[in-house]
Amino acid sequence: MLQNIFFGLSLGAVYSLVAVGFALVFNILKFSNFSHGGVMSFTAYAGYLAYIWIFDGRISGSVMFLAVVLTAAVAGAITAVGIERVGFRRLRRNQAPVIYYFISSITLGILLENIITIFASSNFYSYPVFFSSKNIEILGMSFSVADFVTLLFSAAALAILLFVLYRTKLGLAVRTVSFDVNTASLMGIDADRVVMATFAMSGALGGISGVFLGMNYSLYPQLGQLVVKGFIASVIGGLGNITGAVIGALLLGIVEVALIGMVGSGWMPACVFVIMLVFLLVRPRGIAGVIVQEKA
Amino acid sequence: MDYIYSILTLTGITMIGVMGTYMVTGLTGQFSFGQAAFMAVGGYVSAMLTLKFGLPFPLVALVGSAAAMLTGLLVGMPTVRLRRDYISLVTFGFGEAIISVLNNSAQLTGGAEGLVGIPKRVDLPLVIVSVVCCLFLVACYKNSKYGRQCLALRTDELAARSMGIDVNRMKLVTFLFASAITGYAGVLYAFYSQYLEPGYYNWTVSAEWLIIVFVGGINSLTGAMVSAVILTSLPELLRFASAWRILIYCIIVLLIINFRPNGIFGDWEISRLWKKRKPVQGGLP
Amino acid sequence: MTTSSTRGLLQATGLCLAFGGVKAVEDFSFDAKPGEIVGIIGPNGAGKTTVFNLITGVYAPDKGSVVLDGIELTGWRQDAIARQGIGRTFQNIRLFKGLNVLENVMTASDPYAPYNFFSAILALPAKRAADRQAAQKAREYLDLVGLAGMEDARPESLPYGLQRKLELARALAIQPKVILLDEPAAGLNPSEVREFIDLVRRLHERFNFTIVFIEHRMEVVMNLSHKLFVLSFGKLLASGEPEAVRRNPEVIEAYIGEEE
Repeated sequence: MLQNIFFGLSLGAVYSLVAVGFALVFNILKFSNFSHGGVMSFTAYAGYLAYIWIFDGRISGSVMFLAVVLTAAVAGAITAVGIERVGFRRLRRNQAPVIYYFISSITLGILLENIITIFASSNFYSYPVFFSSKNIEILGMSFSVADFVTLLFSAAALAILLFVLYRTKLGLAVRTVSFDVNTASLMGIDADRVVMATFAMSGALGGISGVFLGMNYSLYPQLGQLVVKGFIASVIGGLGNITGAVIGALLLGIVEVALIGMVGSGWMPACVFVIMLVFLLVRPRGIAGVIVQEKA
Repeated sequence: MDYIYSILTLTGITMIGVMGTYMVTGLTGQFSFGQAAFMAVGGYVSAMLTLKFGLPFPLVALVGSAAAMLTGLLVGMPTVRLRRDYISLVTFGFGEAIISVLNNSAQLTGGAEGLVGIPKRVDLPLVIVSVVCCLFLVACYKNSKYGRQCLALRTDELAARSMGIDVNRMKLVTFLFASAITGYAGVLYAFYSQYLEPGYYNWTVSAEWLIIVFVGGINSLTGAMVSAVILTSLPELLRFASAWRILIYCIIVLLIINFRPNGIFGDWEISRLWKKRKPVQGGLP
Repeated sequence: MTTSSTRGLLQATGLCLAFGGVKAVEDFSFDAKPGEIVGIIGPNGAGKTTVFNLITGVYAPDKGSVVLDGIELTGWRQDAIARQGIGRTFQNIRLFKGLNVLENVMTASDPYAPYNFFSAILALPAKRAADRQAAQKAREYLDLVGLAGMEDARPESLPYGLQRKLELARALAIQPKVILLDEPAAGLNPSEVREFIDLVRRLHERFNFTIVFIEHRMEVVMNLSHKLFVLSFGKLLASGEPEAVRRNPEVIEAYIGEEE
């Protein structure tokens, strides 16, 4: 039981990285950024390439793990910034309606996925085993080391993010822009830079979550479709709300693990769908969100 | 010859699927990532009825479309009143849920291995007739009070409400109609390919339809149809691998979004060709 | 109008609305008799548009009620309120860009169009006749505001002044008992303003509906209104005859304080 909750928490921690990466962009540009999934698969592969081309044979174990995660985070930041440049910069200049952002992000997500498919030809690859011991014993129960590290790392990544958002000048600028882009630029904030920085942060989180997902499920081009978990989590938490996204993601992880135990992994997506539908009916604004009212 | 024949048939079926997407996205401005799931519902329901009970094709075609519409009601009812982002999420989740249900009820649906032994009841002439009929229905819908109210609410929900338009109802009616049409496309596909598997209906199919609509221009049914023909048949004829095809799609879409946001056709409709000559007559088709 | 002229046709009582902690409208009441033209003025950010949004159901008031012709509309859905007979225009023109000029006005009769789904998708005679009639009516409204001959144009391609007129025609077409105009003369040049005042007079004589409008231009306010309500910081500052209100020292204070 406790082991299951723990497993759910660690799954939820990965989801929370996804959801927060998602929420960051939603916060600023007010659209659901599906290209985040593309970033996740892309970086998972980038981490893998770095492993076979550079790190393999030189380092191993947890040092290797750190190196791969860092590479993926950097790759994610770069990819996301590139995406912003190609997919959204011009739309912002044209003050395009939200649906264009939306379509653009989906297209970019599919594009990245297919670039990977072409080069990796839908083969499955997997990361090496980073940690020599599989389980640790605490109070007579055994927990998987990988889960433990996942949980720890996600928490650390989120802590760093929160620090940046609430304790630095950049974070203040991000929060100002998320309140109202136009006002912020009137106040002399360089909106382009802030948007870029946000995408970089979101991409870095995407990179880290990409590696964790790759460790959990092995690598395949459609890995990034797990971005939906992040989407579901941020809807449950309230779109654009970072704390909400984290809570939503942890809940989702626990619920999924519980459902797998109860109905099996085959039926789990159907059950999650029903739960989500009910949740949306009962509380459409999410746990922490507020209703975004159109201006008249 | 057989090859061309099959490409034409599949293009026709795609056109009908795209009509459904056009209605949901082009008319009401919502994004459905589960549109292909309605195709699955239509296909599986009609095929299973034929296989288990030996019912005749016209009847199962009707029941299949109706089943898709009923499912549409289930998904649409709770979602039409939500923010647009949520609708894409719910339809996506719905698509995944349908696939998981199909995969896990193997005794009924054949599970992941697929449903085999469906009799062949669909050929190119029937598909062509179907395309023409569906197109007529959808075009009339667009030109009616329903179409106008939908287009109004797509551009400005608040202003639409201030005109007395029941926004949620309009969205739901359109969603149901689109589900039925998409379900019918599923019926055609089932009885043409004689084989169904759950994996065929994943969200990338829905996304592909969306892209097609978008390339044609979300304001133009004509554009959606032309781009459905080009984007489905051309890559097939040129024998691109599917990953490359999608890659090219994506690049086209990105170019269009950035440089020609209204799509290739803007809001031009073919009906304008003969509308222009007569003096305007009540804005009717 | 046969309704007794002493009772208000549109009556708002004690409207309150707060956004978060900010009180946008506080205990605001006003009434408009049948056929009356009522102006609401006040400095920027005084909550005028919010009052319109409360009346039309965009927001539900925290407290207070809205009554139209004896029917309490508080808490009704926006579209139901519109169908009950309250039409409106918007401060920042909101036309339907996917539709042409004629169709924009036709949307007013569409919620009532007497044909069903099947007549629509099969283009049955009933549908054709109803649509033809609706188009005819819409054309009359376009004529009234001076947009005849522009039926096929795209609304966004019209010059600003005509867009305002189109929005007005669209609101008229729902045949409202009360029409709410939110800064209808904003962005018009002086000759357009005079033309606009004449237009509103003509329409008012013809339909004799009640008009409630928000406006900054004193020319429009003094020329059109029978009665004025002044809002400041969400509260009623003064009300009464336009001339009297204009001389009210508190009102002058509120306006000078704003340094307009």
